[in-house]
Amino acid sequence: MMKRRSFLRSGSILSLPLALNGVKVGVFSQTIFEEIIDPNNDRVFVLIQQNGGNDGLNTIIPIDQYDNLANARSDILIPENRIIKLTEQTGLHPVMTGVKELYDQGMLNIIQSVGYPNQNRSHFRSTDIWNTGSAAQEVLATGWIGRYLDSIHSGFPEDYPNSDFPHPVAITLGPTVSETCQGIAANFSLAINDPTSLSMIPGTEGQELPDNPYGRELTFLRQILSQTNEYAEILSGVAEMGTNLSPLYPEQGVNRLADQLRTVAQLISGGLQTRIYIVNINGFDTHANQTSASNSTVGIHANLLTDLSQAVHAFMDDLQRQGLDQRVIAATRSEFGRKIVSNGSFGTDHGNAAPLLVFGSCVNPGMYGENPTIGSNVDPSEGVEMKVDFRNVFGSILIDWLGASETTVQSIFSNVFTKLPIVTACSTTPTTELPVETAVSVRAFPNPFLDNLTVQFKTPGGPAQINLIDASGQRVAVLADENYAPGEYTIEYKVPDIPPGTYYYQFVNGDFSKTQSLLHF
Amino acid sequence: MAGFSNFSLDPYEGVWTTREASHLLRRTMYSPSKDDIADAAAEGLDNIVSRLLQGNLLPDLPVNFYYDGDPFTPIGESWVNKPMPRADNTNQIRRARVRSISAWTMGLALEEGVSIREKMTLFWHNHFVTGDERDPNFIHKNITLYRQNFLGNFRELTKQTTIDPSMLRYLNGNQNTRFKPNENYARELLELFTIGKGPTVGEGDYTNYTEHDVAEIAKVLTGWRDKGYLYREGGELPGSFFTSWRHDTTTKKLSRRFGEIEIPNMGEQEYSHLIDIIFEQEEVSRFIARKIYRWFVYYDIDDVIEKNVIYPMSEILRENDYEMYPMVEALLKSQHFYDSYAIGSLIKNPLDFLVGTIKQLEIDLGTDMRRKYQLWLRIGNLSELLQMSYFTPPNVAGWKAYYQEPLYYRTWINSTTLSLRFQLTNLLINGVEAEDIRIGADVLGMIEKIEGADDPIVLIDQLAALVLPEEITDDQKSYLKSILLPGLPDYEWTVEYNEYLANPNNRELKTAVENRLRGMIAGMMSLPEYQLS
Repeated sequence: MMKRRSFLRSGSILSLPLALNGVKVGVFSQTIFEEIIDPNNDRVFVLIQQNGGNDGLNTIIPIDQYDNLANARSDILIPENRIIKLTEQTGLHPVMTGVKELYDQGMLNIIQSVGYPNQNRSHFRSTDIWNTGSAAQEVLATGWIGRYLDSIHSGFPEDYPNSDFPHPVAITLGPTVSETCQGIAANFSLAINDPTSLSMIPGTEGQELPDNPYGRELTFLRQILSQTNEYAEILSGVAEMGTNLSPLYPEQGVNRLADQLRTVAQLISGGLQTRIYIVNINGFDTHANQTSASNSTVGIHANLLTDLSQAVHAFMDDLQRQGLDQRVIAATRSEFGRKIVSNGSFGTDHGNAAPLLVFGSCVNPGMYGENPTIGSNVDPSEGVEMKVDFRNVFGSILIDWLGASETTVQSIFSNVFTKLPIVTACSTTPTTELPVETAVSVRAFPNPFLDNLTVQFKTPGGPAQINLIDASGQRVAVLADENYAPGEYTIEYKVPDIPPGTYYYQFVNGDFSKTQSLLHF
Repeated sequence: MAGFSNFSLDPYEGVWTTREASHLLRRTMYSPSKDDIADAAAEGLDNIVSRLLQGNLLPDLPVNFYYDGDPFTPIGESWVNKPMPRADNTNQIRRARVRSISAWTMGLALEEGVSIREKMTLFWHNHFVTGDERDPNFIHKNITLYRQNFLGNFRELTKQTTIDPSMLRYLNGNQNTRFKPNENYARELLELFTIGKGPTVGEGDYTNYTEHDVAEIAKVLTGWRDKGYLYREGGELPGSFFTSWRHDTTTKKLSRRFGEIEIPNMGEQEYSHLIDIIFEQEEVSRFIARKIYRWFVYYDIDDVIEKNVIYPMSEILRENDYEMYPMVEALLKSQHFYDSYAIGSLIKNPLDFLVGTIKQLEIDLGTDMRRKYQLWLRIGNLSELLQMSYFTPPNVAGWKAYYQEPLYYRTWINSTTLSLRFQLTNLLINGVEAEDIRIGADVLGMIEKIEGADDPIVLIDQLAALVLPEEITDDQKSYLKSILLPGLPDYEWTVEYNEYLANPNNRELKTAVENRLRGMIAGMMSLPEYQLS
């Protein structure tokens, strides 16, 4: 188990004298200082993205609404006697035997009717909302995980990787980084297909390049490109140390979600300190042939749920066998549920809310919220009514699992957050009980910068100066130079007419100083 | 390499599709638009080549775009051929003018039209290198020589370059006198500008010329000086003049490499006579043919290419009395040029990359003259950051990509410059504040003209054909589609894109579609293939 020896991180936090001007600095810590990372918190959160909009009503089936469901969607409804019963009122799609097992072991929390107010039924827009955690009418540029990570990695991406954070902050399994992890200065996630061959460029596996100048120059470019990944060696080393112990994983290549989760387990097992993983299962956009015409228990959706159930079951089993299960929880998400009434093509169209599943040994087992109520005469456009805002689910996980403060979570979600009892089984170490640390930190972005440069810093107070220095060591500008009261500050600097190239900003506050290079375009 | 059948300068007679048309335009322009390619594909090889190569009017002169302290040039007017005042702010004026010509040059690249002119102008600038010039009028006069004669007569260009005031200063021709000969220009004239250095086969003997020739030619060229440097009101415009008392009037005798020819004193005409003598050597035609080949086709010239492509090119050049047009025309119409050997093999230089990316992304720099110049200037600065600075080649041999074995084009790329290129692409795609406006890709505009853009497969195919030199694999296409449509079936793109088209003013819809497109285009331009042309 990984234990960080110190709260302090070189380069962005330094211990400062506790008293400044006779005022105990610690009193400010809850509001103005960044989140302190709990050294014992090596917990991992895995986000499982069910892309396309999962039909929740055929996943977690409200048995008590069966008659009205039969009116609305008889062609795709699971026969009552095939439903896997969790309770008298609620059951699972018959293929979800693995999930049933986890439920029985107390490793599943089902949260009913999750969504957001004013549901948008566009995939793109709705995905943006789930990624950013914005309100329905709000357009945000950062993701909710990104904003959380910004609160604890205030120096990112400057100085990363470093000795305290030698590993990626977040990992997306797949070819592209997750927009959920977009921070203010950079995306926190590293996209990997296969940790043992990070040099692999998407879509080029097994490709034989022609023996001509095009092939030769392309080979050269690909070699250079693979050298730009600074995490490559670390990751392949960790992957080699890690292992998988569950026999429940399907054969490689059969279930892509299982393959991704197997890699996640292997990396955790190998000692990777990454705490956020994003995995994907695609294809939930089941407008047609969601079920077979002759048998509603088979079809595209049944296959997807089989994959999901098998993958999560094997993953949890793997973690248990390795004694890692108390360190990991995983949660699903999908951009929307589907309409209650089926559409005549043995499918369903874009709807509203849907259940969200949280897995792990430390979750509050059982069900949160009631089954959705299905009317006797459902309008064809109707979706399941939203009862739980997804931001409350993820915000609660941030607090109770990853150790964020409620203040931080409120600011991530525009102060609309309400905490839910999702993680309760394992004792948590809330930040409020941590020893109070003083902190000073600074970062500048964007990098590269053009006309505008923002410098954010936190100070326990005192004179602080920020200089912009060019590559030859000449000071180009003084961005700030005054006596600051303790707090957080943002300097917006309008960049004058200076040539592009490498510059440095230098921040000095009491004993703390930091110099960091920036690129000017 | 033997076994390639199309290593021939014979006219290409194969199919003429968008693949061939876009290859031609990519190599002869910074970046063609979709319409340019479609037109070229429709009009056929002969027509598009003559359109590309035809002479066109010189552009409007560069203007003073920001400095209100230039007494001879109000903002918005050109400073070309205007004197420098005697004033405290001479340096600011000079600086404003140098910035103007730097910016203007980028503007000409961005607004190149369907013409080889800008690429050929840069070719000559890279061939007849001058640099570190402080007088903007000198720079303008020098570059205008090449822009005006971009496919002119090589011998004539060499003559004019020899007495061009910038060149006289750059390679010390202006200090070359009978009292103190300066061999700098004479050496480069042979080694880099005309005949090239062959293998060293004896003491001071470089096959094509000898050290003795360098010394004798320096004598031939004595007496020339530049004038009008940083000229004052009432003074002379930039130019050059011959001072007979500085000229060596003895008879010069070249080595056996030039048939031991004697050059008697011909005063002011002597340099011209000398260049006629040099150009009688066939190697001159091969030397420039190789350089053109490396500029437009590929760097590797082996015996097969030398024999089947370079020799025939050089013959055409000589048959046409060193007129460049017929040789370049033959190359661009040759079998070899359209062989898959020649397609997609050229690593973009920083200007190709920058100007091309800005054009591809349809980034609107606005119409305001001052802001446009300022943005152009920044493009020039960025190019410098990527290791290529117009008007300041690294040395008299030009940029290494076009002569330095074994790396050639690969000198542009290392993990730093490649990362910079990716960062720039992403920045431009996502948009950024510059000069008080937000500039960024018009991703919806980029796909507007694609017929069937609501089909993601068509969309990706068409965009890839526009920005990438060769077909990419199906796996790569599905990777790009997975960015456009994370986990969704194809028709959801159709639905969402059409919904946007029906409601173009819905901000959320527009942002959502743009986000998907931006990601996919960034993915496409982050493929290493994008660095190739």
